[in-house]
Amino acid sequence: MEERPHALLLKYPGTNCDEETGRALRLAGFHPRVEMITRVSRESLEGARLVVLSGGFSYGDYVMAGRFAQLETERRIGDAIGEFVRDGGYALGICNGFQILMRLGLLPDGSLIDNTSGRFQCQWAGLEKRCEDSPYLSKVPATFELPVAHAEGRFVAADDKAQEYLEEGYVALQYTEDVNGSAARIAGLQDGSRRVLGLMPHPERFVYAAQHYDREWDGDPQWGWGHYFFEGIYEVVTAEKSTGALV
Amino acid sequence: MPEAVLDRQTFREIPIRHLGGEELKRLSDDMKLSLSREDMEAVQTHFTELEREPTDVELEVIAQTWSEHCKHRIFGAKIAHTANGVQETVDGLFKTYVKGVTDEIRKRKPGFVVAAFDDNAGFIRLDGEKAVCLKVETHNHPSAIEPYAGANTGLGGVIRDILGAGKGAKPIASCDVFCFGSPDTDQKSIKAEDVIHPLGVMRGVVRGVRDYGNRMGIPTVCGAIQFDDSYIYNPLVFCGTAGVIPIADIPKEMIAGLKIIVVGGRTGRDGLHGATFSSASLTTDSHEEDQQAVQIGNPIEEKKAADFVLEARRRGLIEFLTDCGAGGFSSAAGEMLSEVGGEIFLENAPLKEPGLVSWEIFLSESQERMVLAVKEETLPELMELAETFETECIVLGHSDGSGVLKVWHDGQLVCELDCGKLHEAPRRHLVSRFDKAKGALTLELPVGDAGTRLREVLGDFAVVSREPIIREYDHEVQGNTFLKPLAGATADAPQDGAVMHIDGSKPLMAMALSLLPEWGKTDPFAMGKACVDETVRQLVACGADPSQIALLDNFCVGNPEDPGELGGLVECVKGMAEAALAYEAPFVSGKDSFYNYFETDEGPVSIPVTALISGLGIVRDGQHVTGASLRRPDSAICILGVTRGAMGGSVFARIRGVQGAAVPETDCAGALRGYQAFADALRAGLICSAHDISEGGLAVAAAEMAFSEVGGLEIDLDGLPLGKAGPGTMQKLFAEDTGRLLFEAGAEDVTELEKRFEGLPFAVIGKSVSAHGELRIEAGGERVISENLKELKTIWKSGLTPYY
Repeated sequence: MEERPHALLLKYPGTNCDEETGRALRLAGFHPRVEMITRVSRESLEGARLVVLSGGFSYGDYVMAGRFAQLETERRIGDAIGEFVRDGGYALGICNGFQILMRLGLLPDGSLIDNTSGRFQCQWAGLEKRCEDSPYLSKVPATFELPVAHAEGRFVAADDKAQEYLEEGYVALQYTEDVNGSAARIAGLQDGSRRVLGLMPHPERFVYAAQHYDREWDGDPQWGWGHYFFEGIYEVVTAEKSTGALV
Repeated sequence: MPEAVLDRQTFREIPIRHLGGEELKRLSDDMKLSLSREDMEAVQTHFTELEREPTDVELEVIAQTWSEHCKHRIFGAKIAHTANGVQETVDGLFKTYVKGVTDEIRKRKPGFVVAAFDDNAGFIRLDGEKAVCLKVETHNHPSAIEPYAGANTGLGGVIRDILGAGKGAKPIASCDVFCFGSPDTDQKSIKAEDVIHPLGVMRGVVRGVRDYGNRMGIPTVCGAIQFDDSYIYNPLVFCGTAGVIPIADIPKEMIAGLKIIVVGGRTGRDGLHGATFSSASLTTDSHEEDQQAVQIGNPIEEKKAADFVLEARRRGLIEFLTDCGAGGFSSAAGEMLSEVGGEIFLENAPLKEPGLVSWEIFLSESQERMVLAVKEETLPELMELAETFETECIVLGHSDGSGVLKVWHDGQLVCELDCGKLHEAPRRHLVSRFDKAKGALTLELPVGDAGTRLREVLGDFAVVSREPIIREYDHEVQGNTFLKPLAGATADAPQDGAVMHIDGSKPLMAMALSLLPEWGKTDPFAMGKACVDETVRQLVACGADPSQIALLDNFCVGNPEDPGELGGLVECVKGMAEAALAYEAPFVSGKDSFYNYFETDEGPVSIPVTALISGLGIVRDGQHVTGASLRRPDSAICILGVTRGAMGGSVFARIRGVQGAAVPETDCAGALRGYQAFADALRAGLICSAHDISEGGLAVAAAEMAFSEVGGLEIDLDGLPLGKAGPGTMQKLFAEDTGRLLFEAGAEDVTELEKRFEGLPFAVIGKSVSAHGELRIEAGGERVISENLKELKTIWKSGLTPYY
């Protein structure tokens, strides 16, 4: 019997960060399982504590990023991820996964559109934690950094919604500086339950300290902030398990 | 099968047995076969012996098989070479100088090279279980006429090479090297219609690489761009991909009784005659007529095929595997069935559009297709896997042990070739000549105001930061890029190569590359040596063990029938071979591309002989990866290597329009002793960071090191190890002598370093400081450079931004 909490990674044609995301989950203590969307059913979610949508270009993202993946997900398993979250499960979307979660309607309304630069941007970004209640951010400091790599990461929402989200605690992460033109410098959003998080930066690319660009980085000699990110959600999930909160 | 299709004749017989030599050549031209009269006569003899006429499919197959692109007949040719009046016969460049060198090194270092030249890519040992490989290809002509699609499929193609290496290597990193005209080229200076302006070529090519690499999820981690007017008409686009594979999955063997299956994209009319198109020169008409030769890329199709192949390999379902590249099914089936023989059924191939005739299906270079040989009983599992990954998988044929390749289409035999004879292309005989230029230093060296000169060099297209392009590439996907192309405390300082972590292994893989086409205009032999040296040196600076380095050689040349151009290539190959042997760095793979010239109304415009040397190095421990950027404001700055002062080919000379000046010579044996001592010091933890001194010379290397903004630099040129000629200050600052490394070490370790480098050209020439943020350089007690590093960095960082 596998003791470690299960994490289900949904993979679409064009998803390309599943291996390193799986590795990061494993290093944090999860038992990750990658499933192609073609083989996913409602039953696939049974036993999982966390559903992860990792980065990539699902179906090429030739139409609005994440749109095709949303339609395929709904066609195959309907609102199973939403139900999973309402039943106490956790859902995480990184980069393209964030774009898919947005389209699935599991996060506050808005869109992720072309960066203001009109370019793909692969760089590191400073991040500021904007909430104390995100289970994913329980182990990262108030400010930290992670790599970003996207062409469509500018968060936009109607009216002054971005500001509202900030005030109402939906904004989990902000860029410390403008990276892509995101409203309110939003880098990551969470839902009302706090169990769904979407973020553009890639925590799975900074699990080892050696992945930092600066050899003199003065953090933990072994682990990068991405490891603390995954450890945060791992600890919350295992704490629930041991108290029997959600069995 | 609809009646109409069955009735349609999908092939035709081409009577050739009665034709004369001129008529044969004309037939080759009309069919775009790119075969010479001599080749056509050999084909004629073959079919005369068989007592029948060939089909169009057979002629197309032979043309593709014998094309320069596929067969590398110039590297196999017998060449009568005359260098500086001395005559010699080169009995095959590849056999003598490439494979010959590798065979010798394999004898000296058994076990390091796992496979070379007999698969899609060469493999070297990473550790006891895994091997790494690298392949670099060019896609010049397609990129010239359709930059985006050309570069897109250039990268897509080389990724498939890696997927098809062994029983399926996993692609882990890519590199790209471009040679373009200058982005600020005056449009009026381009003397042919339809030639795309270098800026348009550059933007299209970069986006092509970006969209394929990023979507595939393979980090593009290193590269180079050369800007020179000689590439305006015929730009060069090199794409390379590295992979990793369990050593046990490298050997593959074709046997009778296997099913041949095709996975991935469908077959269409895109990419017809790609192999033969690449084996001819470009003309204005190419821009109109040869569009069909350019393929259309679909990276997601390839991603799905890659996921399929890697999973099938993990499950042990693959017996043999190759990619569909130039020549399409014909080339893949030729590789698989050339000895064992077998049958192919073209009607089984899924098509993009109806109405393709036999040769089009068999020769189409449509992208994203992989061809596998598998056991029949595994077919159900493979079909299920294809469904999982949403990719198409069909059975195309089988191997049968007959030794003959039979191709059927709707029940008709459209091609029947004896595989043994298929590859017997007539050997070519060529003449080459090389006369070394006088090489006098005609360069007027300005005195004083070295700071202004440094600003000029740092702002030159040859040196300026490639950041706008690098950031468009996802160079961190897969999460294993441990030394990134831009790094240091500010994450934007240049590095000498990239280092990739490989899951489950302690050793890491370093990648680096070098090309110096400007040097080759004067002295291709010196260029060949210097490119090998620079690649080795960069890998060593990145942390690689100097005894665990393998090289790739890629050449781009104009017209091989021009003895002068071929002579430059011969000299370059000889230089490269000499250096590779000295460093005991074997060649494990390579590729050549000829006919890189453009026929204008005023005559042909050729590219200079261009050699790209790329290298893979094994880094034993992540601790050895220091990066090339200054890390502390209180270190000693050291130099290894001799400054002799030859200025030919340097950026400094180019800015002044000086041509023909002597380029630096490389003392490989001396340099290697230095690299070994350096690697020992690195392993002992005595090196903080190291940067190779290359384009722009010492002054540029020092500035680049300090672009991490952790401190100022104070350097004194008086301590430099010098050559006999006694170079002046400008030469010390800007000469691009090979074999030199600039590095940072703890001030407390200087005594230990001096001991370790005793007898070698080593000196402590300066220090990093926190007191100011300047690059200060003194010579003869006088301050010759005193420049604000932030200002220098702005010049360097913003050079390409107006153009990309």
